[in-house]
Amino acid sequence: MISAEFEYFAPKTLEEAVALLDQHPDDAKVLAGGHSLIPAMKLRLAQPQLLIDLGKIKGLSYIREEQNQILIGAMTTHYELESSVALKQTCPLLPECASHIGDVQVRNKGTIGGSLAHADPAGDWPAAIIALRADLVASGSAGEKVIAADDFFVDLLTTALFPGEILREIRVKKPAGRVGQSYQKAPHPASGFAVVGVAVTLTVSSDGTCESAGVGITGLSSKAFRAATVEGALVGKTLNEQVIADAAALAADGSDANSDLYASGEYRSHLARVYTKRAIATAASRAV
Amino acid sequence: MANKYVGQRIKRTEDPRLIKGLAHYVDDIKLPDTLHVTFVRSVYAHARINGVDTSEALKIPGVVAVYTGKDIADKLGPVPCASALPDLKVPDHRALANDKVYFVGHPVAAIVATDRYAARDAVDLVMVDYEDLPAIIDVEEAAQGGPVIHEAFGDNIAYKLTAGEGDIDAALASADHVLSQRMVHQRLAPIAMEPRGVLARYFPGEEELTVWSSTQIPHLLRTQLALMIGIPENKLRVITPEVGGGFGSKLNVYGEEALLGWIAIQLGKPVKWIETRRENMQATIHGRGQVGYIEIGCKNDGTITGLRYNVFADLGAYHQLLTPAIPTLTGLMLSGAYRIPAIQINVTGCFTNKMATDAYRGAGRPEATYVVERAMDLVAAELGIDPAEVRLRNFPAADEFPFHTATGLDYDSGNYQAALAKAKEIIDYPALRAEQQKGRSEGRLIGIGVSTYVEICALGPSQAMPAGGWESATVRIEPTGKVTVMTGASPHGQGQETSFAQIAADELGVDLNDVTVIHGDTSIVQYGIGTFGSRATAVGGTAVLIAIQKLKEKASKIAAHLLQSDASKVAFEEGRYSIHAAKAAGATEASEPVVPVGEAPAGAIPEPQTEGRTSVTIQEVALAAHLAKELPPDTEPGLSATYFFEPKNFTFPFGTHIAVVEVERETGDIKFLRYVAVDDCGKVINPLLVDGQIHGGIVQSIGQALFEEVVYDEQGQLITGTLMDYALPKASQVPLMELDRTETPSPVNPLGVKGVGEAGTIGATPAIVGAIVDALAPFGVKHLDMPVKPEAIWRIVNQA
Amino acid sequence: MKIEGTYQLHAPRERVYECLTDPEVLQRCIPGCGQLEKTGDDTYAATIKAGVGTIKGLFKGSVKLENMRPPEHYRIVVEGKGAPGFLKGSGDLDLEEQGGLTTIKYAGDVQVGGTIAGVGQRMIQATSKMMATQFFTALEAEAKTAAGDSPPEHGFFRTALRWFSGWLKRILNS
Repeated sequence: MISAEFEYFAPKTLEEAVALLDQHPDDAKVLAGGHSLIPAMKLRLAQPQLLIDLGKIKGLSYIREEQNQILIGAMTTHYELESSVALKQTCPLLPECASHIGDVQVRNKGTIGGSLAHADPAGDWPAAIIALRADLVASGSAGEKVIAADDFFVDLLTTALFPGEILREIRVKKPAGRVGQSYQKAPHPASGFAVVGVAVTLTVSSDGTCESAGVGITGLSSKAFRAATVEGALVGKTLNEQVIADAAALAADGSDANSDLYASGEYRSHLARVYTKRAIATAASRAV
Repeated sequence: MANKYVGQRIKRTEDPRLIKGLAHYVDDIKLPDTLHVTFVRSVYAHARINGVDTSEALKIPGVVAVYTGKDIADKLGPVPCASALPDLKVPDHRALANDKVYFVGHPVAAIVATDRYAARDAVDLVMVDYEDLPAIIDVEEAAQGGPVIHEAFGDNIAYKLTAGEGDIDAALASADHVLSQRMVHQRLAPIAMEPRGVLARYFPGEEELTVWSSTQIPHLLRTQLALMIGIPENKLRVITPEVGGGFGSKLNVYGEEALLGWIAIQLGKPVKWIETRRENMQATIHGRGQVGYIEIGCKNDGTITGLRYNVFADLGAYHQLLTPAIPTLTGLMLSGAYRIPAIQINVTGCFTNKMATDAYRGAGRPEATYVVERAMDLVAAELGIDPAEVRLRNFPAADEFPFHTATGLDYDSGNYQAALAKAKEIIDYPALRAEQQKGRSEGRLIGIGVSTYVEICALGPSQAMPAGGWESATVRIEPTGKVTVMTGASPHGQGQETSFAQIAADELGVDLNDVTVIHGDTSIVQYGIGTFGSRATAVGGTAVLIAIQKLKEKASKIAAHLLQSDASKVAFEEGRYSIHAAKAAGATEASEPVVPVGEAPAGAIPEPQTEGRTSVTIQEVALAAHLAKELPPDTEPGLSATYFFEPKNFTFPFGTHIAVVEVERETGDIKFLRYVAVDDCGKVINPLLVDGQIHGGIVQSIGQALFEEVVYDEQGQLITGTLMDYALPKASQVPLMELDRTETPSPVNPLGVKGVGEAGTIGATPAIVGAIVDALAPFGVKHLDMPVKPEAIWRIVNQA
Repeated sequence: MKIEGTYQLHAPRERVYECLTDPEVLQRCIPGCGQLEKTGDDTYAATIKAGVGTIKGLFKGSVKLENMRPPEHYRIVVEGKGAPGFLKGSGDLDLEEQGGLTTIKYAGDVQVGGTIAGVGQRMIQATSKMMATQFFTALEAEAKTAAGDSPPEHGFFRTALRWFSGWLKRILNS
C-alpha cells in the first residue's frame, strides 16, 4: 500500500493549477480530497507523476446563492454540504445525498468536485446533480465552459472534462414552488457505494399535479443517468400510488445493468425500480 | 480469596494507552538502520516458475538484496505443521516458492531495501517467468480429481478421517425420519485490525537474534523459528509487543517470520516487514471453508437417533500450523448440546489453489454448531415441533454431568435447560411466536432463530494438544511490594492484563494498581503456550492462582517468623498475615506503603519493623524475603513462585442465542428485531470483558451469516481482495444485543471458569441463519447457505 | 469472466473483416494500443496502455488471430502482462451481413489477474463493456473508409477516449 513516486504541487490559484495541468496533460492528476485517487495510488493502479492539490487554493469552497442559483465551489466537502443550514431550506436533496456518502472521515475530506470529476459509477453525487439539472463549470487554459449535468458523465470514470480542465463550480437552479426531494440508496455492505441510488426532485402544484420532475440514478450501470422516461411518466400526473409505481417501473428500462459479486444485473434493475418508487413517494410526501 | 475485584465490571487497564495512541505495535518499534522488506507474490493461482530475474530490481537505488526460493532452499527449514493425523500428506512448504506457485499471494521473492518505497518499487521489477497451470479451486472437485497441486502426492486429498462412536447405520435405520442437507461454511478472512508485522535484529557478537512479531504464541514461535533458522533456541528472543487482534490468524508460524529472522542474520541489520491489508487478505490464513453433507435421524417425538457428517475441508495449498486439525475439532463437537447415541464424521481434507485455512475464532466449532443447530431446525420443521422444544427434548439433564458424547468427549458441567429457559423468558418466546403468526397473516416475514450451543474451551489437556496444553505463570512480589505476574498466555486484545490482575489482587489482598501483568517476551516470561481456544483464563488464569497459592505458602512461613509465631497460628486475610489471637481481639494496624515513594534513600531500603506486631502485610513479607535478614532457617530468599497448570479436561461453555429478524419482501433486506444471548462461561472474572467478548463474537457471526465471504474465481484469483469488496460488519449493521448469563462453574479448574473468547462466533451464526430460514418458511425454505444475501432472499420471495 | 455482445457496423462485411485483420487498423482501434508488431503469422506483439479514468496500467503481450475464415469468422487470443497484473482473453468473432450492415457477434472469456482482479471486482465488467464499445466504434469509422485511404480522424469518439488522451494526441498528430 505504498504509492509510486510522484511530484506534489499545491498551487495557490486556479490559474496556476490549470497551467500546471496544461503542461502535463498525460501525467498529472488533480487532487481534490483524495478519497478515490489516493487509494488507487496506494494500490499503484494509478501512478500519476504529478499531483496538483487544489486544497491550497482559496475560494473554491463555498455554498452561496446568486439570483436564482445555488453556487457550490468544487472543493466544498461532503460534510459542508451535509450540514449546510441554507441548503436544508433551499435544496435539501444535496445535504441528504451528502449524508449517504462513505463515512464521517470520508465526508470530512472528500469534496463534491472531486467526486463528480472522478465519476465513480456508484458515486452518490452524480444522481443528485443529474436530478437537479445542475450545470458544471470547468476552467481550462482556453477559459471556462459550462457543461450540463446530463452531458457531464460520459462513461465509467469518464467525464466530459478535457485534459487540462478543472471542475470549478456546480450551479443548481434554486428549486421554486412546492418542492419535494429525496435521495434513496441501497448501499453496498462493504464499500458503502450505491448498489443503486436514486435522487428525485419534484415540483407539485397545489392540486397535487406533478409540474416537473428530475430523476437521477446511480450505481445501476456504468454511469449515472437521467431516467427521462420516469420523469415523463410523472409530469402532468397526480402523484398517487399507482402513478408512482407505474413511473418507477420504467427506472431500469434501456439500462445495461452492472453485475458484480453482490448484485446481479437483474437484481440491480429491480432495486432501481424499488428505490425509484421510494424516492418519488418520499419526495412527493415532502412537496408541501 | 476475597472477591474485591473478581466478578466486578472493571475497566480494562490496557485501554488508556490504546485509546491515546501510546501503545507500541511492531511498526511502532523503530531501530536505527532498519531495512525494509517487501514481497513479490504470485498473481497466479497455479503456475510453474521457469525463472526469476531480479537484476532490474537490484538496480533500484536503496535495494540491498533480493532473495528468491532458490536462495533459501537449503538454508531455511520448512514452515511447520503441528497437526499429527494418520497418513497426513504434508507438502514441503518453504517461505518462498521455488519451482511452483500454488495460490495468489504465494511469496516468490523478498526484497530488502533502505526504505519501504524502494522496496515496493522493486516489487514491480522482479520478472517472474510463470507458466500458467490449471488451478483447482472447488473443494469437492479437488476431492474427485482435477489438476494435482502437489504432484508427488498423486491427488489433492491430504487426508481422510473417520471418527465417532455408536453404530451410525443402525441409528439412522432405526429413525422414523432421516433428513439430509448440504451445508456450506464459506471461507472467511480473520482481518485482525493490525495486520501481521515482523521486525528482526541480529547481534553477530552475541549471536543473538531478536524477533518482534505480532503473534499469539511467542514461545511456540521461538521454538519453531529456532528450528527453521537453525540457531539455538536460547539465542533467539521473541517479543510480542502490543498485538492488534489475532482471531486465530496469529496462532501460527509464518514463512515471513522465519525469513525476516534469517535475513537479519545475513545482512547484520534490523529488517522490518509490515503486512499490507492486501497481503493480509491473500496470505494470512483464512478460516472455515467446509462443504458438508449431514444426515440426521430422529424419532417422531423429535428424539435424535444419530448424526452423520461427511465433510470436505478446503485446506488450501499448504498446511499452516494447525490446518488439518481444524476439521477434527468440528468432529469433536458434533454432539452439540444433545444426547445423540451415534455420531460419525467423515473428513476429506483437500488441497486447493488457495491460501491455507486454519484457526479463525471458533476454529472448527462454529462449523459443528452450525451443522447441529441447523439439523435441529430441520428436525423441528419436519416434525412440526417448535425448534426450542426439539432442543429441550434432546438435552442431557443437569445432573447427568460429566456427560459423555458419542464424539468421545466428557462435558464437564452444564445446565442447558436453564440457559434456554432464561433466553426464552427474556424474549418472551410465546408472545414472540404469536407476534410472528400475526405478522405472517399481515404479510410480514418475521423469523425466530434459536441456537443452543455447546463449545469446547480451555484447550486443553496436553494429551490432546500438539505442543502442550498447559499454561504457566510466575508471580513475584517485588521489594517495594509491587506484584509482577508473568503469564505464558500472550493476550492480544482479550484484556488479561486486567483480568489476571483481578485474580492476583484478590488472592494477594493487594490493590489492583499494585499488580502488573507481563507477557509476550520470551526472555522475560517463562515458557508458555499462548492465547487461543478460549484457554487463557481457564488455564493461564488458573496457573496465576496456583502460583500465588504456592507463593503464599512460603509467605506465611516468613510471616510467622517475623511475627515470632508459628505458621499454623497465622492466618491470611485481605493482604495481611495475622496471629489468630490478635485478630480475634480485633487489633488493627496501620497499613502504609512499604516504601513511600521518594522517601527511601537509594541502597537503604528500610527493614520492616515487625517487633511486637501481631500482623504484617504480604508486601512487608516480600521485602523481608528480599532483604533476607530475618528469614526462617533454610528459606530461599525472595518471594516468587512459578506454576505450570495442566488441566485434566477441556471446559464446555454453553448458552442460548435467539435472533429475531424481519425480511423485507420487496428487496430481500434483512433487519434484526431482537437479539438475545444467554451465555454460560462458568464463573466470571470480569463481566465487562465477558460482555465484550460476546459482543465481538456475535458481530463476527453476523459477518459470516450475512456479509463475509472470501471468493476466488474459477481461475483462483482472489476477487474479494480489499475491504471494499469483503464486507466486514459495521456498527450500523449490528443490532442491540441483549446479554444475560447463567453461571455453571467448571469443575476442571479452581477458578470455575470455562472460557468465552469464541462463544459469540459459535452460538450466533445458526441463530441468525435459522431466523432468516424461519422467516421464509412460508415459501418452503428449509435451509440457506451463508452469507445470506438480499438477492437470494428476493429471488425466493419473488419466485413465489 | 464471460463477455459477449453484438455490434452493428454501417459497413460491408468484407471491409469489416479486412479491418479486423489489419494490424495497423487494429492498433488504432484497440483502446490504448501503442504498438502492434508482427512477430509471426497472424501473431503480433502488443503494447497496450489500458485503463479507465484514473486507473491505468501498461501491458505488454501478444495478439494472435486463429481459425480465420474470411469474411465470417476468426478467433482472437490476447495475452498481456504488466505491473497491475495480467490479462488473458480469447474470443470468437462472427460477422454477418444484412442490407449493408455488418453484425459482429462476439463471445469470449477474459481472465484478469493481479491487483486489478483483486480490487477491481465491481468495475471489471463495465470496463470490458466500455472497451468493447470503444473498439467497435473505432472499427466502424475505419471500415467506412476504403482500403488504402488515409485513416479516419477518430474525433467523434474523442470523448470516449479521453482517458487515453496522450495516445490520442500521438495518433492524431502522427
